[in-house]
Amino acid sequence: MLINRRTLLRGSGAAAGVFVLGAPALLGQARQRVVIIGGGPGGATAAKYLAKDSEGKLDVVLVEPKKQFTTCFHSNLFLGDFKSFDEITHGYEKIAAQGVRMNHQMAGSIDRDKKEVVLADGLRLPYDRLVLSPGIDLKYDSVPGWSQQHEETMPHAWQAGDQTRLLKARLDAVPDGGTIVMIAPPNPYRCPPGPYERASMMAHVLKAKGRTKAKIVIIDPKETFSKQGLFQEGWEKYYPGMVEWLGPKVHDGLKSVDPKTNTVETGFETYKNAALVNVIPAQMAGKIARDAQLANQSGYCPIQPDSMKSTIDPNIYILGDACIAGEMPKSGFSANSQAKVAAMMIRGELLGARTFPARYANTCWSLIETGDVVKVGGAYEAKEGAIKASSTFVSKTGEDADLRKQNAQENTGWYAGIIADMFG
Amino acid sequence: MPRARIFKAGVCAAFFTCVAPAFAADDIALGEYLSATCVTCHQKSGKVTGGVPSITGWPAEQFIAVMEAYRKKERENEVMRALASGLSTDDIAALAVYFRTLGPGKK
Ligand SMILES: Cc1cc2nc3c(=O)[nH]c(=O)nc-3n(C[C@H](O)[C@H](O)[C@H](O)COP(=O)(O)OP(=O)(O)OC[C@H]3O[C@@H](n4cnc5c(N)ncnc54)[C@H](O)[C@@H]3O)c2cc1C
Ligand code: HEC
Repeated sequence: MLINRRTLLRGSGAAAGVFVLGAPALLGQARQRVVIIGGGPGGATAAKYLAKDSEGKLDVVLVEPKKQFTTCFHSNLFLGDFKSFDEITHGYEKIAAQGVRMNHQMAGSIDRDKKEVVLADGLRLPYDRLVLSPGIDLKYDSVPGWSQQHEETMPHAWQAGDQTRLLKARLDAVPDGGTIVMIAPPNPYRCPPGPYERASMMAHVLKAKGRTKAKIVIIDPKETFSKQGLFQEGWEKYYPGMVEWLGPKVHDGLKSVDPKTNTVETGFETYKNAALVNVIPAQMAGKIARDAQLANQSGYCPIQPDSMKSTIDPNIYILGDACIAGEMPKSGFSANSQAKVAAMMIRGELLGARTFPARYANTCWSLIETGDVVKVGGAYEAKEGAIKASSTFVSKTGEDADLRKQNAQENTGWYAGIIADMFG
Repeated sequence: MPRARIFKAGVCAAFFTCVAPAFAADDIALGEYLSATCVTCHQKSGKVTGGVPSITGWPAEQFIAVMEAYRKKERENEVMRALASGLSTDDIAALAVYFRTLGPGKK
């Protein structure tokens, strides 16, 4: 939608408001440009909200190589046969219909001095503000013996798509009595309860096939993990003897993996000829953000907690898994929430729109067994230079089955909601 | 699209009140911003999926009463309690007015 004098003078309140509040003059001037890199929960949400709320006053471009986005969230439910692959895969048509210009390729680099994004095909996209939500890159060298060339043999499935389908096929082929070894990642990584929900779904599938002598061994570099008591209670209740979690004190360190023989060696034991090895390596912000010098030594990008703006470049906002969001976990819900704050702040800067203090929210539900879902979440705000929780909650062990069922229904409702919000 | 027109009218009304120094209770721009958190779960279209109810088109008093009940922890649901606890009376009023403008009356 193009703004012209008539629509402006007809005076929809929003347009008049902008005018009176002294935003840069709109008439006779090219629209200001916002380029967004990455069409996941962070980038897709930012693109949609920027286009929708600016009512055509901004030129919004979304750069994302994929035409179809498969969500990592609920990919564990796909592994567990609770959802089909199609149900977790979504197109960008409706985002485009909001007025977002889609550009389906990789962004190769960012020229911060010229304020331009250089695309894989060489095209340069100038921007007034840049939004980065490239997600994570895997640290392929963080697991001795494993590398990118082994991701087919020992899949990670920590970026959704072909890897997810591969892991599913391999899981379905695990025989009774077979051993699955999961290498869990060190902090900080995307989706803190994700590996443990995945182990639950693996056990669910094996149990449903009657393969209860199969075993899932989790080799964890962490002393403790998200919702630990809840998961361990669930594993004992539904999958007795099937899931074994080993912290560093017990396994005494991961020595190496051998993709040729599907062997995993720890200081404590060697697992030979495993039926499946799921390596979830250490992680860092996507390459494009690191190459542009927007990350610190942690491998992730520092941001201002009240706006999601990079602390390094005031023309760039960084969302989702790639950023350091204080007490907010790296989740799709968090990325979606952060995107809305960034979109508002960008409209404030470029259009003089009203802005409000940043508010963030997150909830992560985890499915342990049919109808038994646990959750953790909270509301967050900018406090003392970081994003901090203002209120949190977490499910309790020994809880009522009805409550867990309600959680399961919330989880279903949330997925439909966030998809409608981003891709609808 | 009639829904859009109602909304536009709302924005105009809010514009005149929003030049006042403090946020007015029926500040629809504030309501719209705060609503962004809600619509990650509650669908803007009013569609109900799974255990997330529709919150569009409610009479404002009823909406406010329910939100106050979550805020005071009189109503169950951890998610709603956590979110409501961070909202002021004005925030809740703004949300009520905003969600009222979406969709036909529910109850
Ligand atoms: C198994 C699993 C379960 C999960 N479960 C949940 C859950 O239940 N709830 C929840 O909230 N979260 C969950 N998550 C986490 C969630 O998926 C991520 O936190 C979320 O996807 C992060 O969004 P993002 O926008 O930061 O990045 P991403 O979703 O990774 O999106 C980044 C996009 O950027 C694109 N991109 C990267 N580099 C470039 C470039 N140079 N140019 C152009 N495009 C580029 C990529 O193609 C990608 O599409 C789960 C994750 C996993 C792995
Ligand atoms: C994480 C998901 C989630 C988010 C975000 C969320 N809600 Fe809810 N909301 C729910 C669920 C689930 C229920 C049903 C709870 C119950 O059974 O009492 C609910 C119930 C409600 C109800 C009562 C509905 C009824 O029929 O009784 C209202 C009103 C409401 N929410 C408003 C809001 C507002 C306003 C926001 C944003 C500030 C919000 N919600 C954000 C999940 C969410």
